[in-house]
Amino acid sequence: MNVKLTVLSLFAIPALVSCLGKNESKITALNEIKDVVDSKILPPDSLRTFPFVTERVNRIEAVLRGGTPVLLLTDSVSDVQQKAQQVAVTDPRFMKNSKDSVSGKPYRNEIFGIYPARESDFTGIPYNWKGGNCFRVEMYNYALNLTTVALVDIIKPLVISVNHFEQSQPDLPPHLKDLAIQIATASPEVAEALGYPPQNNQALMAATKTSLNRTRCERSRHLCVAPTFLKDGKALWAIVDLTEHRLAGIRWTGTGTTGPSVITERRLQNDKMTACFCEQETAVEKDGWKLKYMLTASDGLRISDVFFNNRQVLYSAKLVDWHVSYSNTDGFGYSDAVGCPEFSHAAVIANEPPALRTLKNDAGAVLGFVLEQSFASEGWPGPCNYNYKQRYEFYTDGKFRVSCASLGRGCGNNGTYRPVMRIAPVGDQANFAEWNNNAWQNWSTEKWQLQGAQTAYTPEGYQYKLETGGGNGFYIEPGKGQFNDGGRGDDAYVFVTRWNAGKEEGDADLVTIGPCCNNDYHQGPEKFIEPSPENIAGSRIVIWYVPQMKNDNAKGREYCWAESFVNSTGTKEAKVYPCYAGPMFIPVKK
Amino acid sequence: MNKAYCFLFGIVFVCCGQKQAEETEFLSNECRKWPAFATKAGFPAGPNSAFSTSEKKKMGLLLIGISNDTGGRKMYQHPSWTTGGWLAPIQLDNYGNLFTAPAPVVNVLKNAPDSQNVIYKVDGATGEMRLFTSLGEPAKTENQNPYGIMSLCYLCESDLLYVATVAGSTRTKEAGGLYCIDAATGKIKDKLMGFDPFGTGICYIEGKRKIYFGKARTSEIFSVELTASGKFSGKPQLVVSLDGLGPRGDDKAKKIRFTTKGEMIVEGYEFNFNLIAPAEKQTTNYYFRYNANNEKWNAIDGKAIR
Repeated sequence: MNVKLTVLSLFAIPALVSCLGKNESKITALNEIKDVVDSKILPPDSLRTFPFVTERVNRIEAVLRGGTPVLLLTDSVSDVQQKAQQVAVTDPRFMKNSKDSVSGKPYRNEIFGIYPARESDFTGIPYNWKGGNCFRVEMYNYALNLTTVALVDIIKPLVISVNHFEQSQPDLPPHLKDLAIQIATASPEVAEALGYPPQNNQALMAATKTSLNRTRCERSRHLCVAPTFLKDGKALWAIVDLTEHRLAGIRWTGTGTTGPSVITERRLQNDKMTACFCEQETAVEKDGWKLKYMLTASDGLRISDVFFNNRQVLYSAKLVDWHVSYSNTDGFGYSDAVGCPEFSHAAVIANEPPALRTLKNDAGAVLGFVLEQSFASEGWPGPCNYNYKQRYEFYTDGKFRVSCASLGRGCGNNGTYRPVMRIAPVGDQANFAEWNNNAWQNWSTEKWQLQGAQTAYTPEGYQYKLETGGGNGFYIEPGKGQFNDGGRGDDAYVFVTRWNAGKEEGDADLVTIGPCCNNDYHQGPEKFIEPSPENIAGSRIVIWYVPQMKNDNAKGREYCWAESFVNSTGTKEAKVYPCYAGPMFIPVKK
Repeated sequence: MNKAYCFLFGIVFVCCGQKQAEETEFLSNECRKWPAFATKAGFPAGPNSAFSTSEKKKMGLLLIGISNDTGGRKMYQHPSWTTGGWLAPIQLDNYGNLFTAPAPVVNVLKNAPDSQNVIYKVDGATGEMRLFTSLGEPAKTENQNPYGIMSLCYLCESDLLYVATVAGSTRTKEAGGLYCIDAATGKIKDKLMGFDPFGTGICYIEGKRKIYFGKARTSEIFSVELTASGKFSGKPQLVVSLDGLGPRGDDKAKKIRFTTKGEMIVEGYEFNFNLIAPAEKQTTNYYFRYNANNEKWNAIDGKAIR
């Protein structure tokens, strides 16, 4: 057990239960909390696929290459139904949203149902209809999450009316229900949770006599259903994303009256992340590094008690605010906190669990590992929606980097992003120095400095030196476009403040520290310096790092930006242009 | 009794620049009076004048006027109307006074978490906004809950203001509740605590006066009976749930209002005690009709879309 449990409360109970997927707990009470902790969120970038999915993708791509980008219904379709859908897809009103209006690329459209029209379908429509001649044809557009319904007279033949329903999904045809069940039963996560590989006919909800539970993927706005498996009086929801043909996640629920009645993508994500990463710390030991991390209510992903080779390096590091300014004149912008998805001050919330990845160079050699966290608005990459990344890099040689990026898209192409990072290095008798006139010159009092064209660096590119005591310390190398991550230079404000016991200056979660739109050093940390800077020589200090990244949407120059495009399977994807910034800390060799 | 005689709407009497008072055909609601200062300032009572707290880039309370001729908008803001930071609910009383309360937007720069449990009153004669009453400084929430007052609801006949608050609540502690406040003095007449309410509305039904409230943590809507003097009577009873309804399936009841036809209209949207920008959130109206035979509110087919 690698988790420290300090407070035993109802919601600290998950700390007793592994969030890493192992069933270590013997707890039988608080089953709902255990269900949350045991749930799994599968990353959207998983490359896993199945032969039956490949077959469907091939069919989709073939249809989209043809003239009419619609997958016609083939499930037991009669001749008259066949005619109804053929009539519908030749009507421009029905096909109005079938392609991207800018690129002309086809969206994935699929006929989900062809039903005999009812009298109620003609309410308000002046048409002398006859039973048997008229059909209701329902088509789903995966890219726009849009349902189009046509009333078709197959004798005339003509389309009587067309209606489009945004953010709406029709009932699934049998072949898609089967596909969802196939994806669920073939996914190892489902078999692992059940303890056996399920058969297709085991996806059955006894109460409803249907094989699929209704669910929603509110965040991705994809078509999702939940094949559900019963075992020992509990139900395992397997949320299947039929837009991307993948398992999105799993969660057990009781079949009684407690707990949510519907498990959705958002419910699954929020509950899991809150229980596993907002309510408790996770410990990591890797490549000589030892640290803890957790999601905060307003300061992003915080790392703490960071050790390298058993020597402490940092007390903590976190991301306090994102200041986004759109103009130099009218002060328009936002000051966003990032953090936990619920019960937080976050304006842009964590939408995926923190991820640990191996850090490799271009040749494939392992350099260390990366801890990443994503925060995103649900409508991203749409305008005025945001996506932020936080990234901590830990190298096997003791280097580490604290960085973050905006992935756009924001409210305009004239935005400047100013993230406020707080880095608390170890050392009660630390000294902080800048490279100037070919020498290290100590800062004696709290102050700030802006990286610019005149900034002096050592031949290695270091701007500052941090001495943490006993001959230990780090050189600090700001971003100048050299980190091979797309960053173009940090243009950073660096503040150094004195840490004082009993004076709360950011050890705990900070509320919004500064406004959106100050274009100078007034980004928040100055409030801990002014009006009377304290002595920092030989003291415990805090480093505040505020890079400035100006976004750009010019073709070929995109930065802090994202564009959506229509992919080969007719759905939308985001092409991202992140603007990473943040300093590297390089150990001082004794 | 088939009809549900209902009055008073949910959180915001005036929202998004659209005055909604015209929808209230009900006798009881007629008591609410348009402020004299607004008329003097060139914003006469009527469909073209409205109070708003949801104008983009404009913090605080605003008085909006729309020209019949040009469709253009004019705005008025008394200097005191920004002193409470960003505001949300608006209620007029039967003397032309206006009540409002703070609510953070995107961040807490102008809405410190410990000052969100207060009500402001705008004097109907002068237009000046002053602190009306405080429901007490909430417990510290370690940045878990930036919210305080969620909705206001005015009862004309008793001159009472009902206040829904979640101040001091955290993920593990439901510390909110409903307050009944004398709208003349600000004195608390009654309170019902231990749950986190959201939108509120009052309705006469089956000869009883009830306040309905959505819950901020779940999609449920409860009601609790009010006595003749406006105090809470008995425990809240579950009325209906938005769980599984609509495009999201987990909406919370932000506003609740009623029609003379016995319909309850609930405006639902995503709410998870965070500061996601309101602009990102889609809202959906859910319609319910009262069935006197089984004394239940049933979703009206075709309106509360599943």
